[in-house]
Amino acid sequence: MGASKTSPVHGGASVYTIGMLMDPALGRVIERCRDGDRDAFEEVVDRYGLQLLRTARLILRDQALAEDAVQETFLRAWQRMGSLRDEDPGPWLNRIAMNESISAYRRRHRFQALTERFGRFGGGQHEVSSEQRLDLAHALDRLTTEQRAAVALHYYQDLSVEDTAKALRVPVDTMKSRLKTALRRLRDLTGSEEIPA
Amino acid sequence: MSDKFENDLRDHLHKEAEEIREFPRQLRGRIREGITPRTRARMAPQLALAGALVLVAFAVLAVRSPQVILNDVRSTVTQIFTTQSPSPSPTPQPFICSDRSGGTTGLSGQLTGIRVAHHGEAPGFDRMVFDFAGGIPSYDLTRQESSVFVRDASGQQVTLAGSAGVKLVFRDADVQGVADQKFDLPAVREIVQLGNFERVLSYGIGLTSSQCIRVLELTGPSRLVVDVITAPTASATAAPTPLPTLPSATDLTPFSCQDHGGGSDTGPAMRLTAVRVAHQPAGYDRIVFEFAPQPGSTAHVPTYTVSRQASSKFVKDPSGLDVTLKGSSGVRIVFHGASGADSYTGSRDLTPGLPVVQEVEQLGDFEAVLSWGTGLSRPSCIRTLELSNPTRLVIDVQTP
Repeated sequence: MGASKTSPVHGGASVYTIGMLMDPALGRVIERCRDGDRDAFEEVVDRYGLQLLRTARLILRDQALAEDAVQETFLRAWQRMGSLRDEDPGPWLNRIAMNESISAYRRRHRFQALTERFGRFGGGQHEVSSEQRLDLAHALDRLTTEQRAAVALHYYQDLSVEDTAKALRVPVDTMKSRLKTALRRLRDLTGSEEIPA
Repeated sequence: MSDKFENDLRDHLHKEAEEIREFPRQLRGRIREGITPRTRARMAPQLALAGALVLVAFAVLAVRSPQVILNDVRSTVTQIFTTQSPSPSPTPQPFICSDRSGGTTGLSGQLTGIRVAHHGEAPGFDRMVFDFAGGIPSYDLTRQESSVFVRDASGQQVTLAGSAGVKLVFRDADVQGVADQKFDLPAVREIVQLGNFERVLSYGIGLTSSQCIRVLELTGPSRLVVDVITAPTASATAAPTPLPTLPSATDLTPFSCQDHGGGSDTGPAMRLTAVRVAHQPAGYDRIVFEFAPQPGSTAHVPTYTVSRQASSKFVKDPSGLDVTLKGSSGVRIVFHGASGADSYTGSRDLTPGLPVVQEVEQLGDFEAVLSWGTGLSRPSCIRTLELSNPTRLVIDVQTP
């Protein structure tokens, strides 16, 4: 589905669906934000904050780091509010949040990022024997940040592959490949069999 | 098309994500702080300009009459500093029927005065002004459907004038020479200090009825303004959110069928030292989490959320594994900035078999996020109390 696909998000009425078409009331809130109204911006934080925080937590695997990333996301959004035109702020905030999350992870885990890179170019990922099968939580820990971001957006936020690619600023084919690799890795780590199509 | 593994992955991600039950208040405060302009930074160029002008004035002092120059300098500097007048009254904001938090986390403030007055202009409101020296510290404002409050530390009950109330808690704050006050205003009837301990300053405000409020943070001088709407039609048009039921005569504070939150994030992680569960004849089961500070740090009840849920099934942190406790409904308690890993030696799965509380089990203790689940025999309303000496969070679960 195209970029305008809405993204039904599971998890209760308090979770806002990122990707919905902007309703007029939200448009007025954004207009007030552009005028520098901080109370209006807090409404935006209330509306999108929880969803962004949950997504960042899935990617970063660390509550404090996720909170830092979401804080930076909203501060940048506030500074750039003038650049947001008549569009739903959800995907826009998502893009900023993804960028901040991946940057935050790289800052915190410079060494780990280096080993991930070496792993990619060098000896490949460490394989897990059948005796070492992991549950999904631990298997997710073993993905790269970029893979986790793709998985979180596609499988948690239910974004289409196209929208996931857009949020992470990569070509659609790259995203397809990234999701496929991530899924294969998760199957390997958890010992799940792939069902032929 | 998704296969079973993809569906399992989707379910797992949702479960893991929903471990975060609500957007943390501290984070909200940090964002608010980040988007609030810093007065000092704005003043810097003007101060530099004032200094430069003073220097120029004194440089020409030798060729002009000293008195004339001094007058010139005084008027110039006065002119510059008048641009730093108190922040003007902002555009009126709507009255909101919900709790509020704000201020600046980590900023230490001294409350220097409380002023209260009625404003007749539409829609009509009573205004309370809390004056601070050194900026507005972090605060939480909580509305309640009763004018009964509990004094901090002592736990003693105090009933203020009126039939509803607002509790205002400032963190990292102190006060001197500000007395309790009574009023005969349309909305605000009494302001009483409930506690001033370990730089946590709290006030109870007695109101004639439950009304919507608005909060303004102003600078020059720093002041927190709390307006309580008084227009007779306001409550109907603004549709206040439902509030907890009134307490019975024997209760300390009202039981509420809503989620609770509180505590503070003021230092290193607190250490869980005890968990106690017991039935109280007054009509509730009591769960107590006791904490001790790390050596050299300040005692505080860590930030917590107490969330009610319709089942006794919980997800453990960080494994994501399901666990079903005894009972048919539950309460999840999550502390941020707390751990019992090195300090708690008691059972991590208590089965007291009380009228309502059936089981209390630790769900996680990871990265200073400590969570416990409680299995209840029936859905019940709760209340929370933050006590000190020793530091405790008390959760009372109402029994039939």
